[in-house]
Amino acid sequence: MNLYEKIIALYPSLVEQDFRTCIRLQNDADEKGSYIAKWEHPTLPRPTDEQLGAV
Amino acid sequence: MSKLVLSGDTSGSVTLESPAVSGTTTLTLPTTSGTVLTSASTITPSTGTVTQASLATGVAGTGPAFAAYQSTGVALTAATYTKITFQTEEYDTNSNFASSRFTPTVAGYYQINGAWQFGSGGTVTSCAIYKNGTVYKEGAGTGGTAGYGGTVSSLVYFNGSSDYVELYGYASSAKTPLATINATYFNGALVRGA
Repeated sequence: MNLYEKIIALYPSLVEQDFRTCIRLQNDADEKGSYIAKWEHPTLPRPTDEQLGAV
Repeated sequence: MSKLVLSGDTSGSVTLESPAVSGTTTLTLPTTSGTVLTSASTITPSTGTVTQASLATGVAGTGPAFAAYQSTGVALTAATYTKITFQTEEYDTNSNFASSRFTPTVAGYYQINGAWQFGSGGTVTSCAIYKNGTVYKEGAGTGGTAGYGGTVSSLVYFNGSSDYVELYGYASSAKTPLATINATYFNGALVRGA
């Protein structure tokens, strides 16, 4: 399960457009992999690493 | 040293002076009227070099230019702005493109262009220029069942030392760009000096 799928599992109300506006997932094509570069959702809090790891 | 003093029309004078040389040197004057270059000229007298700032209107300089394309498909992660990597260079006139990153060593304004395409499957797409690691300009994307992708084009100012740009792609579902010279590419060139 990739980062996007984990976030959707945590917050099923999110829609695709959210990931081009208030949320930005980023992958710099390096060993770090995908990460949350921006989280400015008006109501949902940024998920913690623990929450993502538990999905 | 020999000197030839020319008196000015009203006052002052101009002195022509030969240097201390052992051989014979000939200085040939042009056959047309004009002005001899001085240290205040826009052309460097010692080398004849014209600076970028002194180029006449309509004259293009020889600033850095690059073009690269993805020759091996590398997948974009779903709903994630993913750096697009470029394995093949078409040209890189000043050796400023490396690791899919353009870092020009000449300050100024550059026209930067990028695009990526995928083959099939509906998805929402986009394409973005990242400057110094963060999104700078984002272009429109299209995604139908037949494919498509995204494009972006913008003027970008570079300081000539640390500023760099990279190309990122976005697709709402995982897609692998078409790895061809005409489909997934990144290029740019200096269009105005700093």
